[in-house]
Amino acid sequence: MLRCDISKQLPGFRLEVRLEAGRGVQALFGPSGSGKSLTLQCLAGLVRPDTGLIEVGGRPVFAADRGVDLPPQRRQVGYVFQNYALFPHLTVKENVAYGLHRLPRPQREARVAEALAAMRLAGLQNRRPAELSGGQQQRVALARALVTRPKLLLLDEPFAALDSIIRGRLHRELLELLDEAPVTTLLVTHSLDEAYALSREIAVFEAGRVLQHGPRDEVFYHPSCKSVARFMGMKNFIPGLVAAVTEQYTRVDGPGFTLWGPPAACRPGQAVECCIRPEHVLLVRKDRAGEGPGPLEARLDGVIVQEVTYGGYVQLLWRAAGPAHPDMPDLHVTLPTHVYRRLGVAGQARWSVALKADFIHLLPAEPDRTEWTRAGAD
Amino acid sequence: MLDTTWFPVLLSLRVASLATLGALAVGVPLAAVLARRRGWGADLLSATVTLPLVLPPTVLGYYLLVVIGRRSVVGAFLEERFGVVLVFTWQAAVLAAMVVALPLVVRSALAAFESIDPRLEAAARTLGRSELAIFFTVSLPLAWRGLVAGTVLAFARAMGEFGATLMVAGNIPGKTQTLSIAIYDAVQAGRADLANSLVVLISLVTIGALVLLARVARLTRW
Repeated sequence: MLRCDISKQLPGFRLEVRLEAGRGVQALFGPSGSGKSLTLQCLAGLVRPDTGLIEVGGRPVFAADRGVDLPPQRRQVGYVFQNYALFPHLTVKENVAYGLHRLPRPQREARVAEALAAMRLAGLQNRRPAELSGGQQQRVALARALVTRPKLLLLDEPFAALDSIIRGRLHRELLELLDEAPVTTLLVTHSLDEAYALSREIAVFEAGRVLQHGPRDEVFYHPSCKSVARFMGMKNFIPGLVAAVTEQYTRVDGPGFTLWGPPAACRPGQAVECCIRPEHVLLVRKDRAGEGPGPLEARLDGVIVQEVTYGGYVQLLWRAAGPAHPDMPDLHVTLPTHVYRRLGVAGQARWSVALKADFIHLLPAEPDRTEWTRAGAD
Repeated sequence: MLDTTWFPVLLSLRVASLATLGALAVGVPLAAVLARRRGWGADLLSATVTLPLVLPPTVLGYYLLVVIGRRSVVGAFLEERFGVVLVFTWQAAVLAAMVVALPLVVRSALAAFESIDPRLEAAARTLGRSELAIFFTVSLPLAWRGLVAGTVLAFARAMGEFGATLMVAGNIPGKTQTLSIAIYDAVQAGRADLANSLVVLISLVTIGALVLLARVARLTRW
């Protein structure tokens, strides 16, 4: 259990974080410099917040109003640093045993042996960190943190030091290892894939604040604001005005056409943005073009003006045909390469797209102030 | 002849060894503290410790005389309270050599401590170890090479110390006459044979000590 409500002012940066976390892995996700690592340092007692409260396992470790500020030594917080911060002059075994100095030797040895076995490090106990692979170093760092049985485990970009090739395997390994050690875990990452794959809940950080915190699918499919939507990979934002709201759909007057979204808490006349993931913008097959749109589906004619191929998938930029409405943005479309080939996209520029209600997420329109954030850059 | 040759050699070795130990005892903790502090106080302290490196040894000797001379506050206190007179003893030579060697220890140790990844010490803290334990189990072993380098330089500097030593310990043969002073004395007295053997001795002893320390430093590598 973790409760945290802190703020800290730094030159040119203000951290204001509220977080509550139960069991399981919580991802702190956001761009570099958004305050994720600083939050971990505050939780561990390495950096002192200006004000606020931190409770770990029901025990206050920091409470500005009561003058409580436990040193890192007494917080029972395990910390796995970026690049792991293993002691280079100590062996694997000595690294893992480092935090068990208070235990008598036989117990210490037993706990270390247990941790090494759990992290599949048994044969490596006499190696130095420099003699280990990145994945092995990661497991030593985990073992060293977990062997002290912390109430809270902090993982700061644990995969940043590893090749992308072995990351996938290590993601699965970490999931298994953390499953065996059910402790509240915060995972800092700036990779959406990692945040989604490894956590139950995601807290999205931007500029020192938590924009949204909730179950990962909630955050992923129902972002609470445009910044979060962008972080979650939504690239298309079509502005419109709500025309009608029913139990089945929300009808929106878009720029020059009507489209439908899922039922949402809006009122007619409200300005909204229809967010669509690039993989959810569907190209209409040429042989089905004559059939007309299905229910709750908008169809638009246009041309493909740009395409970039990334091995397994293709990213297209689609532009509405004719004298398009000035508010109609170009749409980003992502297709798996095999679909791209089967449809024969390369041969023709003119394509209709289908926008289906199921794939649209409606957000209240925001003032333009979010435009300056670096989130949208892609 | 044997005494006039060997006494200065042995005295110099003793003075340089004790001065190096003293400089380490003062300099290493000082560097460890300076490595963690930022601000005017730390900068001022750091500058003061470095002073002996840039001041002429005679100025340094003069400062020391002002501090430990029989008419100074410290000197008078020591004499009245403990009956100890430091000036013109070999212990004063140790003090002079130590002050001269101190900046070399502090500089090397400071660089060594600052090159340690601060996350290592942070990790040790989250693992529940006290600051003192972290110093001995993480900082010190990781700074080891820098400390050895500092020790080598300090010892070499202490062996060769002349100016400040002459001013606070004098040139009393068989009592405070260190090797470098004995060489100066021999040259002044026109005793080229004695000067020659002393010069060869100091060169060999110093080279030997430096090689030995370099070997020790190389033993610990990870």
